[in-house]
Amino acid sequence: MKILLYIVIQLFVIMMVAPLLNGIIKKIKALSQKRKGAPIFQMYFDLYKLCKKSSVVSDVSSWVFKVTPYIVFATAIAAALLVPVSTMIAPEQLPGDIIMFVSILALGRFFMMIAALDTASTFGGMGSSREALISSLTEPSILVSLFTVGLISKSTSLLQIMNVMKDKGVPLVHPVYIMIFFALLTIIIAETSRIPVDDPSTHLELTMVHEAMILEYSGRHLALMEYGAAIKQLTFITLLVNILIPHDQLIALTGISAVMLSLTIYLIKVIGVCIIIAIAEVSTVKLKLFSIPNLAALSFILSVLGFLQYFVLGGRYV
Amino acid sequence: MSNFFDTLSVLILFSSFILMANKMTKSYIKTFRIQSMLLALAVGSMAIKSIIEEGRFDVLVVCLLIIILKVIYIPNLLNKAYAKAEYKVEKDFILNIPILVLVCCGLVVFCYFCLSTIDGINDGVINVQVVNSISVILIGLFFMISRKKAIGQIIGFLVIENGIFITAMFSTQGMPFIVDMGIFIDMLTAVMILGIMVFKINEEFDSIDIDKLNNLKG
Amino acid sequence: MGIFLVSVPVIAVLMFILFKNSRIQHIISLVASSLSIIIAVYLTRNVMLFHSVSYSAWGGIFYIDYLSIIVLDIVLLISLIVSIYSIGYMETEIKHGKIDRSRLSLYYILMYSFIFTMVLALTVKNMGIMWIAIEGTTLSSAFLVGFYNDKCSLEAAWKYVIICSVGIAIAMLGIIFLHLSSIGVLESQQFLDWTALYDNAKSLKSPIVKLAFIFILIGFGTKTGLAPMHTWLPDAHSQAPSPISALLSGVLLNSAMYGIIRAVAIVNRNLGSSIYTGRLLIALGILSIFTAAICILAQKDYKRLLAYSSIEHMGIIAVGIGIFTPLSIFGALLHMINHSLTKSMLFLTSGNILQKYDTKQISKIKGALKLLPVSGIVFLLGLFAIAGMPPFSVFASEFNIIVSIFVAKRFFVGSAFILLLAIIFAGIAVNLFKIFYGNNQEEDLQRGETNIPGTVAIVVLLVVITITGLFIPNELKDLITQAQNIIIGM
Repeated sequence: MKILLYIVIQLFVIMMVAPLLNGIIKKIKALSQKRKGAPIFQMYFDLYKLCKKSSVVSDVSSWVFKVTPYIVFATAIAAALLVPVSTMIAPEQLPGDIIMFVSILALGRFFMMIAALDTASTFGGMGSSREALISSLTEPSILVSLFTVGLISKSTSLLQIMNVMKDKGVPLVHPVYIMIFFALLTIIIAETSRIPVDDPSTHLELTMVHEAMILEYSGRHLALMEYGAAIKQLTFITLLVNILIPHDQLIALTGISAVMLSLTIYLIKVIGVCIIIAIAEVSTVKLKLFSIPNLAALSFILSVLGFLQYFVLGGRYV
Repeated sequence: MSNFFDTLSVLILFSSFILMANKMTKSYIKTFRIQSMLLALAVGSMAIKSIIEEGRFDVLVVCLLIIILKVIYIPNLLNKAYAKAEYKVEKDFILNIPILVLVCCGLVVFCYFCLSTIDGINDGVINVQVVNSISVILIGLFFMISRKKAIGQIIGFLVIENGIFITAMFSTQGMPFIVDMGIFIDMLTAVMILGIMVFKINEEFDSIDIDKLNNLKG
Repeated sequence: MGIFLVSVPVIAVLMFILFKNSRIQHIISLVASSLSIIIAVYLTRNVMLFHSVSYSAWGGIFYIDYLSIIVLDIVLLISLIVSIYSIGYMETEIKHGKIDRSRLSLYYILMYSFIFTMVLALTVKNMGIMWIAIEGTTLSSAFLVGFYNDKCSLEAAWKYVIICSVGIAIAMLGIIFLHLSSIGVLESQQFLDWTALYDNAKSLKSPIVKLAFIFILIGFGTKTGLAPMHTWLPDAHSQAPSPISALLSGVLLNSAMYGIIRAVAIVNRNLGSSIYTGRLLIALGILSIFTAAICILAQKDYKRLLAYSSIEHMGIIAVGIGIFTPLSIFGALLHMINHSLTKSMLFLTSGNILQKYDTKQISKIKGALKLLPVSGIVFLLGLFAIAGMPPFSVFASEFNIIVSIFVAKRFFVGSAFILLLAIIFAGIAVNLFKIFYGNNQEEDLQRGETNIPGTVAIVVLLVVITITGLFIPNELKDLITQAQNIIIGM
């Protein structure tokens, strides 16, 4: 019964908040460029509009093309369910762990890449190959950083990790966590196709990665793809804030008001991270594709340094 | 408090990684400045601690000197020396950046394994600050061999100096005051001499590429 | 009186800044170095009477004992000879148009700051300040190495500053670790104090002391010119003006070696045996001799050849210290004195040859005995001396070290040592002896010496090394024995 309640609340929060983030980031960018910008709820309107329209499917494409939007959306939802937005609503045990989280996302990405190849358009192939490069570069650092926190909390379940982190108070001043925080932040930027890795707002063939892959989609399919991407972004941010900046230990209340308070604080944290991402986007320029390995190497080094610090400290106060 | 210093030491270590991943001479200087700021922050917190606990003001003087010399004066001096050098080709590293960064990571691991067998660095538990700061020294040395430009070598030297300074701070809570002063004077003179030499080398060889210095052999 | 020794070079530097006339500058230089020698004699007498001299001024950092007085005497003696030699040398350089007359004061200012830093390094007991002074020697001599401002000398100066500064920085790390090992043992005003460290050596933390020694050996070893950190040495020695080469080789290397010896004394006393330091020092020493042997065999530049010979002799001293028996330490300290005198004599003579022929290539020099009757003979005899022929003093000390190696039953080290020395002898003979004979093709070279006072000084040096090769004065023997007791800890 509790797990059903968890799924309902979790899905509701994730699906409601996810499109909001894109709106906030776009708004901050617009304000920094002295523009008024679109309203922050613009993405909801876009999704509604796209859902009403019919989708155009190329004659030469196979079933992969049609099934991919659903798989991408489903994997994003499934991954989101593994990362509770608040430990208050979660049951004692959650099925699934870090490896499952990473591989579910990899499944969605795999389908996205082959669907882009499926239409045989030049942009699709280009986007897929770039996406494969970027994801293969970022995956090691996701795994190393998640395993480090897993090692500290002696568990690979994300809920368990969050519970252990919660008991440690605010661990961000600790050398292990600060490294992992920045590693995950870099990964979020790379995984969610943001500047400096990818530019979400252009359709310039020289630079686009994610946009190139969904170029052939329209209507309902496009809505699912975009929604899936937004959910993935929120999932990563949730992972970051709930593991490294836990807040549930601060709440003394019980019952429904505690959950409400917890979710509010969660929202504030997520918006905070969005602001960081937006500032990063505003203040940097897009890297050329061959410089992305350097960024990925730095992110990997951050996570490995965090990992090393854990060993160097020898469990002194982790 | 020790958590705070651990974090600072790891940030200083990471700033040397960023230095390694930089491509342009300008950004070496910028990263060096950031590293020196972190160093000043660490020394400054120690200064406050020592004023409160022991009433000693000498660490504070050291901190102020770091800010004046390493954060303000030396980076400006290097920027000037770099602006004077006419021949500018930006790419000056031998291996590509991910490999350089991974080698540095190996250096940290090496340093950890070397120091973990030595008793007495810290009672029983290896001192993370010492490991990190000695790694900074090793990365500085590696930076010197991985860059071909004269300015890169000066920056590497300065990073080594920073690493030694932070090692002294973290392991012994500061050297005797007169020694600290002497180190500063020496370092400042060294950088000024090297700056003048960069200028002369640029005049004589039309480049600040160290690979061109190959007349003397055998 | 003793503190005045440190201030003599400082006052000299100030005078050089004030008086621009070159004649006055020469006189100041002579007076300053003679004054230093007089003070050194006084200090030596005091040390022999009271075992050590220390002053309470400036927190009592000044401290001279048997070990430092030996090196200090070498420094001041050679700087006197170099200052005599410099007059003629620099005047000739100015006449030949190699340098401007305006740069003469720069030369003297840098030279005396160089001497100042070396004297400072030898008269303080705080290892931190000793480090600062040794780093100061690099900085003050950097522009002396690059004095001619051409491509080669700039390259040499750049390598010299970069390699030595980094090496010395590593020595700093070693000193920090030494400091770390003494925390909790020493009072805060005794930190880094050599005598305090030495007296309490047994209670320092051994693992950190071991770590510290490696860093100190590598760091000061760079400055000493031990292989494989020697690469700056041949460049710097060959490109510097000859008087400066004499100072670098005869004096600077000893000052850095002095730092290593001080550290060895502490570490061996702490560990209770010399196995640890011995292994490292003997390995580096033999490697240095080996490197020098290889490079001397294939050398085309006589100043570089002499520089490699310095690497060899530093290796010999390192082996002597590494064996760590009373006899070997005695040999090493004696060798330090003998090598300094012989090598600075050779470098000064090579300056005469360089000015006469205007080339550093061995193959372009012919008939040196005819063109330079005095310098040629001195150079020839000096080469025999440096290669270890009796009756010169280098033979005596090398023989001491070889005997001590075999007495310590290090047969492998001993045989390698002798073999390498033989190769070096052959290398010097094959390469350099051809410059003395034959006739010079170029007719425009005049026969005769140009630098008369310098040549007299060189001849005096030759006489000194011959006499000390035949017998060692009792006072000197006593001094070295006392220094050896300090190192070994009796």
